Amino acid sequence: MKIHRERSVTAVVPTASMADIAFLLIIFFMLTTSFSPVKTSVDLPESVERAEVEQNAAIVAITTQNQIVFSDGDNPGFNVNSADELGPHIQSLVRAVPNKQFVIKADRAVRYQSVDAVLDQLRRNGAKNIGLLTEQKRAPAGS
Amino acid sequence: MRIHRYRTPAVVPTASMADIAFLLIIFFMLTAVYSSTRGLEFAFPKDDPNQTNVQPQEAIHIKITGDAQYTVDRTPMTIQQLAGYVDQKMKQAPDKPVIIHALPDVPYYSMIDVFDVLRQLKVQNVSVPTQTEIERWRFFGYLE
Repeated sequence: MKIHRERSVTAVVPTASMADIAFLLIIFFMLTTSFSPVKTSVDLPESVERAEVEQNAAIVAITTQNQIVFSDGDNPGFNVNSADELGPHIQSLVRAVPNKQFVIKADRAVRYQSVDAVLDQLRRNGAKNIGLLTEQKRAPAGS
Repeated sequence: MRIHRYRTPAVVPTASMADIAFLLIIFFMLTAVYSSTRGLEFAFPKDDPNQTNVQPQEAIHIKITGDAQYTVDRTPMTIQQLAGYVDQKMKQAPDKPVIIHALPDVPYYSMIDVFDVLRQLKVQNVSVPTQTEIERWRFFGYLE
């Protein structure tokens, strides 16, 4: 009698579900990626209370070297030499959108006078709505 | 004679799909910036003549003199003491304005720490005068 040997199963790596996993990850990264117009890296101060800033708020970044980067929220940021130069930009934005939010993204170690100069320009040029970017503080202060 | 037709089974080539997908993942991973989109909010007072302005004499005056050095109504305090003091004052008069006066050389985070404490205590009327305003107040004798 002839013995039928079972045909050897070919070795395959199941790759069909690989694409599903990969696309799931792509969707995750697509949703979490925010194309921030100001990519200046700063070490933000920490606070317990935090509120979400508006999506297309104008951003003023201040680094420890007192470098100021400004963006209207839609276009990429550009360097300005001093806070005084921000005046005309702020004025034109406020004229277009009176309640435009201006977000200050300043390094935690920056001297207050740099922030004060920016705040002064914002106030003089009619900005009303200000946000100060912070990181989440773990232990609540004052307790 | 019967003709044998060989039919190839219909398959979608999915082998390269994963490659393309992982390429896209790498792109998004590299471009993802986990930037903070949250922070402390405040509004400048409106230039409305009908609105009552902050009277510096009635307000709690917090002066930040250095790195984590605070003077509240001319008394030096720690951040915990400051929180207790302001909380007590707020219970007596919830509308009492609070002025944060940071000296030019203090680090920014000292001001944020104070601001954060006031936000936690739900202080409604927080004023952050700029240097120009402080000069003006000093001129009128509101500040020492």
